[in-house]
Amino acid sequence: MNAVQYLWLVPLLPLLGAVLLIVAGRNMSKPIIASIGAGSVGLSALTVIVIGVAFLSNPDVYEISVWQWIAVGNLTPSIELHLDALSLMFIFVITFVGFLIHLYSVEFMGEDSGYARFFACLNLFVCSMLLLVLAGNLVLLYLGWEGVGLCSYLLIGFWYEDPKNGYAARKAFIITRVGDTAMLIGLFLLFATFNSLDIETILSAAPSRWEQGSSIATVAALLLLGGAAGKSAQLPLQNWLPDAMAGPTPVSALIHAATMVTAGVYLIARMNVLFELSPVAMTTVGVVGAVTLLIAGFSAMTQTDLKRVLAYSTISQIGYMFLALGVGAWSAAIFHFFTHAFFKALLFLGAGAIIEALHHEHNIFRMGGLRKQLPIVFITFLAGAASLAALPLVTSGFYSKDMILWYAWAGEKGSGLLFIAGLVGALVTALYTTRLVIVTFFGYANTRVSKRPGWRMTMPLGVLAALSVVVGFLEVPHNFWHAQLISGFLGGVLPAAVIDSGIEAYEWALQLLAAVVTLGGIFIGYFVYMATPGLHELVKKKFPTLHQLMYDGWGFDALYTLLFVKPVTWLARASRGDVIDGIYTGIAWVAIAANRAIATTQNGVMRWYVLGIVVGALLIITLGILV
Amino acid sequence: MIPIENYLVLSATLFSIGLMIVVIKRNAIAVLLGLELMLNAANINLVAFNLAHPERLDGQMFAVFVIIVAACEAAVGLAIILQAYRVFHTAVPDSISTLKES
Amino acid sequence: MSRADIIFLLPHLMLTLGAVLVMMAIAVRRNHFAVYVLTCLTLIVALYFLPKTASLPHNVGVLFVVDGLGVFNTMIIMLAALAVALMSYAYFDTREERTGEYYMLFILATFGACIMVISGHFVSFFLGLEILSVSLYGMIAYLRKRERSDEAGIKYLILAAFSSAFLLFGMALIYAATGDMTFEGLSGYFSAFDELPILVMTGVGLVVVGAGFKLSVVPFHMWTPDVYEGAPAPVAAFISTISKGATMVLLVRFFLAIDGFRFPVVLTIFTVISIASMVVGNILALRQQNVKRILAYSSIAHFGYLLVAFIAADELGVEAVNFYLVAYFATMLGAFGVVTVLSHPERDAELLDDYRGLLWSRPALATVFVVTLLSLAGIPLTAGFVAKFYLLASGISTNQWLLVILLVVNSIVGLFYYIRIVAVMFDSAEEREARPAGYVGNFATLLILVVLLVWFGVSPQGLIDVIRNLVGVG
Repeated sequence: MNAVQYLWLVPLLPLLGAVLLIVAGRNMSKPIIASIGAGSVGLSALTVIVIGVAFLSNPDVYEISVWQWIAVGNLTPSIELHLDALSLMFIFVITFVGFLIHLYSVEFMGEDSGYARFFACLNLFVCSMLLLVLAGNLVLLYLGWEGVGLCSYLLIGFWYEDPKNGYAARKAFIITRVGDTAMLIGLFLLFATFNSLDIETILSAAPSRWEQGSSIATVAALLLLGGAAGKSAQLPLQNWLPDAMAGPTPVSALIHAATMVTAGVYLIARMNVLFELSPVAMTTVGVVGAVTLLIAGFSAMTQTDLKRVLAYSTISQIGYMFLALGVGAWSAAIFHFFTHAFFKALLFLGAGAIIEALHHEHNIFRMGGLRKQLPIVFITFLAGAASLAALPLVTSGFYSKDMILWYAWAGEKGSGLLFIAGLVGALVTALYTTRLVIVTFFGYANTRVSKRPGWRMTMPLGVLAALSVVVGFLEVPHNFWHAQLISGFLGGVLPAAVIDSGIEAYEWALQLLAAVVTLGGIFIGYFVYMATPGLHELVKKKFPTLHQLMYDGWGFDALYTLLFVKPVTWLARASRGDVIDGIYTGIAWVAIAANRAIATTQNGVMRWYVLGIVVGALLIITLGILV
Repeated sequence: MIPIENYLVLSATLFSIGLMIVVIKRNAIAVLLGLELMLNAANINLVAFNLAHPERLDGQMFAVFVIIVAACEAAVGLAIILQAYRVFHTAVPDSISTLKES
Repeated sequence: MSRADIIFLLPHLMLTLGAVLVMMAIAVRRNHFAVYVLTCLTLIVALYFLPKTASLPHNVGVLFVVDGLGVFNTMIIMLAALAVALMSYAYFDTREERTGEYYMLFILATFGACIMVISGHFVSFFLGLEILSVSLYGMIAYLRKRERSDEAGIKYLILAAFSSAFLLFGMALIYAATGDMTFEGLSGYFSAFDELPILVMTGVGLVVVGAGFKLSVVPFHMWTPDVYEGAPAPVAAFISTISKGATMVLLVRFFLAIDGFRFPVVLTIFTVISIASMVVGNILALRQQNVKRILAYSSIAHFGYLLVAFIAADELGVEAVNFYLVAYFATMLGAFGVVTVLSHPERDAELLDDYRGLLWSRPALATVFVVTLLSLAGIPLTAGFVAKFYLLASGISTNQWLLVILLVVNSIVGLFYYIRIVAVMFDSAEEREARPAGYVGNFATLLILVVLLVWFGVSPQGLIDVIRNLVGVG
């Protein structure tokens, strides 16, 4: 008997919570709603820990058949959960961080009238996300994929009274749909080739079916990349994420920072065999990551909305993960996902606490001086920010980012350009993080704090702060100390990164370089925003166009409006009442006419019915004689 | 000995006459009579073709059952027709047509 | 008749005993509740005496074949009858003062249906069918104060008797040609034919007319909406499920025995009937405003679908027919159950307007109705979907592509009017008068039916295994 076989409980518990809240949430009191909403995820997290312990004592790949639907003929659709080191890391983050965020929301959403609706959606999201990462076949994965998309849509537009939020929700949904469509085509392609959508089957058959570098493998991998880019807000589908901040802050923390947006990373890591078959696709992934991390990082430097800074930062950090995937540093990508989930969730929750304390003030330049007024938030936020900026030696972000930079340089698939992009990104990251901390917490207090967060908000902050420091030591560079837990853990699932020979000796140099760059970024930030007041205003005035461009996220919204939205609306307007419409109207008209004609036979006169039987009998007999 | 085909012709004729009565007659009682005729046309067949298997009595037994069933049907039918007459003041099924496609 | 024969027929004998007991109970003292309890007890006792599967099959004389197919469907019919009985109590308790006879007719009708599913001989075929029909005449016209009930009764009476005459004449013709009336004997005769002689063909055709009337397939369907509309809601439930189901099983048994689908004529006839039923049923339902009539048209279309598996007539097809019947029974009983609960003493809740805003005023009941409608429409995770899927699988395995495609297209058309009812229930609620408190039995029945619908939709394998074990061999 093994605890792993209770895996089905993990997604089931949040699902039950969601169903309960949807069905009866309206009549429940808030404490009950909160205990169902947070409790179901908490229980799920406990189950994950029990399963994790069992898994660690006997690491293996587990296929758990949950449900065989029917066996009609030779068709046997079934649901199979797949647990290996990769999915275990994801479900740990999803349930554990998910639980902390639920707990936080109990207080954060306390005054909201849609309390039950909020927790129902959040639970449903957790369930879908768990299904996504536990799915043994791509159909179930796609179900989870669409499920999280739906929940994301519902939660971004949670405060639906404001039409702006509804617009943001639709934008997120439609842009990710573009990626989803590409992915769906990719799934069809895989099914057409392998006649199966079982992940194990595809991955084991792919190397023999497709030769290295074949164009069909490239097409399949690129289509999957399309889906991943949409979900993970990578170029060119990145522009929905900043608007998605319209949702409640816990939603941003859970969905748009820690879990859902990393689904693309998961997908690529899970399908690593396919990507390894196509060097072109690998390079594309790396380049997409590098470009995204740069442009998002630069945009983050100019934002004034606290949550938008974090949103661009998230895009940028996921860019790092894609960069790592692209250079074949699979474990490094997952390690960065792991650390990022903790510190970015922490930053968002801290941001939520600040915004809540300041009457929903989002503009960081109207904050300031919060260091003294919200000390707990300050300390924890500082821990998260240090991790994001990759402060050397003491933070988890340093170790994960260092690993990515190392492989970008030293990896077989790495290149100088990718490495430089990563390095510049590190500088920018340190810079905007310092800016954020200084502007928000130091200086003159522009807005008075009205309400201090209670223990249910500060407790998750503390736990996450501790974690965002500690988890970094799970994987320490070779030359420091012998602790490569993450890559060892993932070794059975993901291929190890290959590095050029003779280069290991220079690892310390790179680490030093990265550390210097980070510290440099922090210093610049300190210099511009604290040491010399007014300097940043000056810089802004000096390069108004560039600033505006960066502030608007490099104008992608305007570009897409021009390229797609306008033509489509024009086409829609032009084709109103066209031929195709006529076909549908025609079908409806024929149906109505047929209905009228046949309805006249139902005239209630019995003689007519008798004749019907006689005619039927005659028809049958005639048929019998003729045929 | 009467040729076997003649029975078939007789029964088919009776069946058709019964059918015509059901289709043409307006009064429900007459319709019931037509139905009886149709059932008995079948009975003629059953009894006549039992001649071919004199060792078995299945056709004749069936005919007896059919007569009983026909009697039951007539009894229940008359009761319902009477009740309908009380409600609608007519025994012509065609003029009872409130149930129809509106 | 040996001791063993009696044991195998015990369920049926219990039903006749129950009918007699009800008759005597009425003679002693009229008490609705007592009669109702007696009826339910009769059904439960009859269910208890169902033969054990290990001892099957067993022939009782030449008339009856007690095999897996028969026992399974006897059980389904009795369970459905139990559900209808529970509905009937609530329905008639608020209406007629004289209720005893209804239950006697009810037990007899159930008895007739149970005879049909085990009959292996024309005599038992015809007698079972007639017992069912004659009891139904009375049940349909039972509400004497409601004129529409009388009209439905008189229509059903004349048309049913008319079609029975066709059936009987068809049997007589087959008898004339072959000299046999047992299915077993006929199977021998039919296997000798390469092509059906005209006399036999006409006989088979007339049998199809008689059975087609009971199945209410096009073109023998015209009575269906009128009778469903006029009859009391529980009786309509009875006609749409038990009466149709028993006839279907009987047809399966008959056509399997004579291996009818070897002959292209028979295949053509049933294909035409199936297509016509799907199309006409769905088209007529499209613009209908009366829920009982919608259910009637829907049942016509559903038997069009069902014929797809019937035509397949192989092992998978028979399984599919049985599974479909179970799913269809549960769905229709649920739908008519909701109609029953919502009905006034003066008028059944049959107009779409009666359901406006139901989801807000009576959410539990509306949920039941939504589930049954989704099952009728064949939405995944309901029994209706699995059943339809089964039909498709059997249609595809026998290469009935035309039928399969039409089945899919018609299912899509069907969605329209089912969803329309759901949409009406979602409409904003209007003020409605308080309704009398419900009956526990009614709600329990509905609850069980909904659970079954979802259960068979989510995890149908158990039911499939049962059907396969019982029916697969036969």
